[in-house]
Amino acid sequence: MDYAIETNGLTRVYETYKKPEGVWNSIRGFWDRQYERKVALNPTDLKIEGGQIIGLVGGNGAGKTTLLKLLSGLIYPSGGEAKVLGSSPWSRDRNFLRRISILLGQKNQLWWDIPAADSYELLTRIYDLEPIAAKKRVMDLAELLQCRELLQVQLRRLSLGERMKMEIIGSLLHQPAVLFLDEPTIGLDIVAQTNIREFLAEYVKRERPTVILTSHYMDDISMLSDRLLLISKGSIVYDGTVNGFMSKTERMQKLSVKLLKPPEKEIVLSERLTIPAGAEGLSVELPSQEMGSLLHRLMTISPVEQLKIEEANFEDVIRQFLETESRRRQARHPFPT
Amino acid sequence: MIQPILTAGIEVALWTAIFAGSGQATIGSYPRESYLAYALWAAFFARISSNWMYEFRMIEEIDTGSVNSVLARPISFYEYYLSQFLGYKVITSLISLTVPFILTLFIGVSTYHSRFPAALLLVFFYLVLVHTVSFSIASFAFFFNRIHSLTMAKNIALWLLMGELFPLDLIPEPYRSWVIHLPFSSGVYIPVGYLTGRLGHADLLKAFVSVALGLLVLAPASSALWLAGRKRYSGTGA
Repeated sequence: MDYAIETNGLTRVYETYKKPEGVWNSIRGFWDRQYERKVALNPTDLKIEGGQIIGLVGGNGAGKTTLLKLLSGLIYPSGGEAKVLGSSPWSRDRNFLRRISILLGQKNQLWWDIPAADSYELLTRIYDLEPIAAKKRVMDLAELLQCRELLQVQLRRLSLGERMKMEIIGSLLHQPAVLFLDEPTIGLDIVAQTNIREFLAEYVKRERPTVILTSHYMDDISMLSDRLLLISKGSIVYDGTVNGFMSKTERMQKLSVKLLKPPEKEIVLSERLTIPAGAEGLSVELPSQEMGSLLHRLMTISPVEQLKIEEANFEDVIRQFLETESRRRQARHPFPT
Repeated sequence: MIQPILTAGIEVALWTAIFAGSGQATIGSYPRESYLAYALWAAFFARISSNWMYEFRMIEEIDTGSVNSVLARPISFYEYYLSQFLGYKVITSLISLTVPFILTLFIGVSTYHSRFPAALLLVFFYLVLVHTVSFSIASFAFFFNRIHSLTMAKNIALWLLMGELFPLDLIPEPYRSWVIHLPFSSGVYIPVGYLTGRLGHADLLKAFVSVALGLLVLAPASSALWLAGRKRYSGTGA
């Protein structure tokens, strides 16, 4: 079977120059350099079929962006090999580069001082696209993202959310067969996040590219991905469905409450949770199945002025998953060999 | 535009003062008018032949990781910047060279206007070389920090080697021959010397050959340097 993405023992080690203290040691560093080696990606074997949407998740520094940069050819590997659409990514073959796209949520890729429409004309030339068809595609994508009126505005004058829409159009202009999305919703407000998520869902349904998506927001992953890869300390530790992953974790939610008036005496909400006398409210993270009974009890005891329920931090969910897995492994093999 | 006008003004004043002070009709067998013409044209050609601004940008892109947006697209970093650089220089040339061109039509300094296209062609050929030098320097940014200091050192060297400061034929032998035969003289000395009548067609042809040889040496070296840098690159900032 031909895979859109296939890796075999793909590894990346970063070497950082350890700058010693003092002038003499700095001079010595010219001929006697000490390097610190950090394994960003352990040997990784991966097979991804065409048209699949992969959610790549992991904590900060876990290795997900390194994997993305390797697969898009931005960096060279320290070992192993990879084929994306049949090409070795770091060979930077132009036919390969015409068929992929990488969107880095934390980096502008369009030109800062000119309107996005001008950037798209430049990209039309770079990707050797048919100008009229490219223009039409820009308008279609802008229509879907509801941002036609922004095309003629200098990129630097747009808000973060508006800029991201422009970046998305730029990365999809040449109809890439493989799309690498690195944190496309990072830093955006809820409305902008939802708009972009809905757009991407619609786009992948319509054009069926192979997508690798990294995100810190579980909603991005659960709404868009067919398959989830969890990466931790440079290794893939989970490869399966999103539902499979969620069933292995206890879904946590964060509850923030401001009471109408501070209680005169301590309120006991559960065995583990109390509101001390005089407190103005509480903020707590707890399993979602406990949320209903807790709220019910709270409302009957004390009037509430403000209430907010948020999804728990995705990093915490991942940490919890890794801890649970570690406990399971220990239970199976209590005596390490 | 203001910078080359000021430089030309200062240089013309300097050469006028030198001739007045020396009391001689010629220096190095060339008359006063020849030096005035050289000073006038050299300031504008030097402005066109410089590349430090684009070199700074290239270094900055590698330093900050903005280079990623070029690496992910079907265009090389070299040609991406060369096309911007040449495009900018075409516009700069059209605007800034009209000043000495019109001036020399009316004042009595020696200029062969019919030689202008060939002189300009040499400068644009030289720009490819100077861009290749900049590309090599920028590649060091993959290995070291603060590469801008290399740019500064290179600028000072080129200031002398191009003949921006004074005509290269004033340098004593044997250095004169070496410096003139280096491809860097094609930035100012050769095109201006050719345009003002100090040099002939053969000198211009030799300069084309010198730049071509320079490119033959530099292109593979810069390519190897870039590749070595790319292998070390960690995709900064992404």
